[in-house]
Amino acid sequence: MLNPEPLLQEAASNLVPFGKLGAAVGAGLVAIGAGMGIGKIGAAANEGIARQPEAAGDIRGGSIILAALIEGVSLFGMVVCILIAL
Amino acid sequence: MSFLRLPLMIAVILGACWINYHHIPHHETDSPFMTLYMHLNAEKLLKDPHAHHGEGHGAEGHGSDHGGGAHDAHGAEEGEHADEHGAGEHDQDGQQGGHDDHSGHDSDGHGSDHGGFAALPDDAGHADGHESPYLFSMTVPGVALPASLSFMDMDAETEGMQLVMTNLQLFQIASVLLVLIAFMGVPGYIRTGRGGDVVTRYFAGFAMWIRDEMVVPAMGKELGNKLLPFFLSLFFFILFINLMGLVPGSATATANIFVTAALALITLLSMIFGGMFAQGPIAFWKNLVPHVPLALWPLMFIVEVIGLFVKPFALMIRLFANMTGGHLVVLSFMGLIFFFAQKFGTGAGYGVTPVAVGFAVFIMIIEVFVAMLQAYIFTQLSILFINASVHPEH
Repeated sequence: MLNPEPLLQEAASNLVPFGKLGAAVGAGLVAIGAGMGIGKIGAAANEGIARQPEAAGDIRGGSIILAALIEGVSLFGMVVCILIAL
Repeated sequence: MSFLRLPLMIAVILGACWINYHHIPHHETDSPFMTLYMHLNAEKLLKDPHAHHGEGHGAEGHGSDHGGGAHDAHGAEEGEHADEHGAGEHDQDGQQGGHDDHSGHDSDGHGSDHGGFAALPDDAGHADGHESPYLFSMTVPGVALPASLSFMDMDAETEGMQLVMTNLQLFQIASVLLVLIAFMGVPGYIRTGRGGDVVTRYFAGFAMWIRDEMVVPAMGKELGNKLLPFFLSLFFFILFINLMGLVPGSATATANIFVTAALALITLLSMIFGGMFAQGPIAFWKNLVPHVPLALWPLMFIVEVIGLFVKPFALMIRLFANMTGGHLVVLSFMGLIFFFAQKFGTGAGYGVTPVAVGFAVFIMIIEVFVAMLQAYIFTQLSILFINASVHPEH
């Protein structure tokens, strides 16, 4: 009968660097998500301003707030990644 | 008088930076990146930080973060400080033991648990009384902390619960002073429309913009005018702290999560108590939930209550992470220079300097924009959140 505990411990110690890898991959995924979200907002805001230049101020203010909300979510993810990496 | 205000504001900024630069402990680590990142930590202001730099010291004995987010000096530094005091090693090590949450970092035989209280001078060589190494510290009167709360005591060596000034408080005070100086003549100028100098006109325009573009459109005239002073204070407090954080030799108070948590807590309490005052204490919690089928109501109530707390939490994380992130990027570019110099020789360090400094300047320019944007975002979202909880949609 094989004792699994030392094997598991060895595997866990070998996997420690992959924890940092996970944090890095997570940070990249967060950047992808935030980039897609903010890119969509930017595209829509610029289209809206181009169609209706007189509403530029309102559209810009709204898009900044929406971008900030997406940024907040992505920063949650970033903070989690930092906590993993530390 | 009024022509003195611009020099006075500059003097406040430079004075805060001077005190910060000359009174925080200096850290040295093996990694050039870590040495630079130490500058992002809150530091307790010391009377004489150079007294710690006797000789080379090991990397052991890092203090842990606690309480107000302050960062301890190294254990080894403290020991050297004691030598210079000539008062025996007892007091400094006792302090270190208390600060480390009793994790056993004491370097000499004095490893006993102080229970979070002051290490009373019980040695003979210590009878000359000890002098606090901190620039400003204050005893909270009438508070005796139990041992489980000893992490709240910032100076375990002195008896009683101590509040020690860190560089974050320094810059918060400076920010309040700046707001006071900048807005001295603004109310009179707005009422009468004359008599303002450049600073007054500038900040009056800023204040009017916040009222007319941010507060009143979102909240309406009645509630907006009532809450305008709060949002003005919030905006300019954060703005001045953020911008002062970009001055060389300064610290950014909003790059500390405890400071932003305190700011977000004000917003959270305004949301809850503003809503409870405006709608009634029971109706506020009832109106949290939109019209849903009765079976869904308990679930929706839980979701909405969580949402109520998540909004200020997001405010806290957003401001903290933005200010920290910008500084981290700049410090990483700076650290690149020393990293190259350490690994590949001095020439490589000089070679990479123009690139690194160029990128760092680029990031700094973005950071100026981010500093203003984050003050705007924090204030605007506070306005929207507070308005949403005072005026629920039906």
